Amino acid sequence: MISAAIISAAIISGEVIKFAASLLAILTLAGLARWLRLGGDVRLRDVDHARTVAREAICDFEAVAVVLDRACIGALLRDADGRQMLIRRHGVQFVGRLLSPGIEARLDQNFLTLGAGERFFGTVTLNLGDQAQIWASGLRHLRA
Amino acid sequence: MTVPLPNPIDYAVPAFIGLIVIEMIWAKFRAPDKYEPRDTLTSLAFGLGSSVAGLLVGGMAITIAVSAYEFRIVSIPWTWWAWALCFILDDLAYYAFHRSAHRVRWFWASHVNHHSSQHYNLSTALRQSWTSFFALGFIFRMPLILIGFDPAMVLFVGAINLIYQFWIHTEAIGKLPRWFEYVMNTPSHHRVHHATNPRYLDRNYAGTFIVWDRMFGTFASETSDEPIRYGIVKQLGTFNLLWSVFHEWIGMAQDIWAAPWQFKLGYLLRPPGWCHDSSRETSDQIRARWKQTWEKRA
Repeated sequence: MISAAIISAAIISGEVIKFAASLLAILTLAGLARWLRLGGDVRLRDVDHARTVAREAICDFEAVAVVLDRACIGALLRDADGRQMLIRRHGVQFVGRLLSPGIEARLDQNFLTLGAGERFFGTVTLNLGDQAQIWASGLRHLRA
Repeated sequence: MTVPLPNPIDYAVPAFIGLIVIEMIWAKFRAPDKYEPRDTLTSLAFGLGSSVAGLLVGGMAITIAVSAYEFRIVSIPWTWWAWALCFILDDLAYYAFHRSAHRVRWFWASHVNHHSSQHYNLSTALRQSWTSFFALGFIFRMPLILIGFDPAMVLFVGAINLIYQFWIHTEAIGKLPRWFEYVMNTPSHHRVHHATNPRYLDRNYAGTFIVWDRMFGTFASETSDEPIRYGIVKQLGTFNLLWSVFHEWIGMAQDIWAAPWQFKLGYLLRPPGWCHDSSRETSDQIRARWKQTWEKRA
């Protein structure tokens, strides 16, 4: 009975040590990735790049209208069917979402803040210049 | 009678870490902006959580396996040919599991974890599910135990299979000699498996031997025509660990809750993306639409 308890304790302490070592290794690797300055500050290069990213998100999404954020961190696109897509960066990649009617959007002069209705996707504020009002208005006319 | 064997993964972990460091240095000189430290941290946290989950429920899996072994058809001895046969059959069982993990939403809810990174590097290999036992993935190995392979042998070769799959998660290795690419799963074949490009969706399910995909019609070769995009059809867009782990389980539960009674089971057992109101698409539908669009453009 006592020896079984000792063996169990040894197994548990062995697993705790393994866990601690793994955690340390993970933090070291994450630190190394930062120290090596991996990653970067990605931006949309131009309107064509935004179109490509949209097509990659939805293969038949052919944008007929595109507006880029002034800092090129995101974009809004519309296709011939009236679908609208939000693109924003995610780390060193981009992610896109088709926007559905009733999404929350806030216009403040040249700045349009909007999300995709998903908590963890979050919201993004795009500086769209004088196009902000036009696109904000367009969002109100999205079809279901 | 089962014989206790060491867990080979414990011995492989230092090599995993060393290779990840080497790949990071390679990325630094080759394409530093393709590596995302936050994504790597998320992947490694997945790996750690998966190990903890394994510790918590591993005992139950072993108990089930040992109980099933009592009902074996024959007793297969511990000989060299039994090890070789067990490895091959286990790899076939892995193919069946992996194919189901992409074609049945219940299994996908767990397996999606491994695919949810938009990056493809060695840290992605460690992006393992926390819920694989709950998802009942172990049932695919049960036939081997019921045939008569010792559970310890089955678990051991399964671990070797998992270790083999580590090194194929990289962009640092191009195509390998033809004979090797023909028989074995390679970085090139597995890049295809992790791709979201419609032409590659649901291809190359192999663990160690790519021949299963060639035999069962699920093989696709990597082409230089189109750069590979990694991840899932609807990219997560977050590095939040808990959401990354549980998002598909939550989504599936919400779908089942909201669906009319006659469709509820469909959200559990049909392919990911299936829905009763055509508002979403399965990978087959995405591929068909892509083909249509591609032909129109041509």
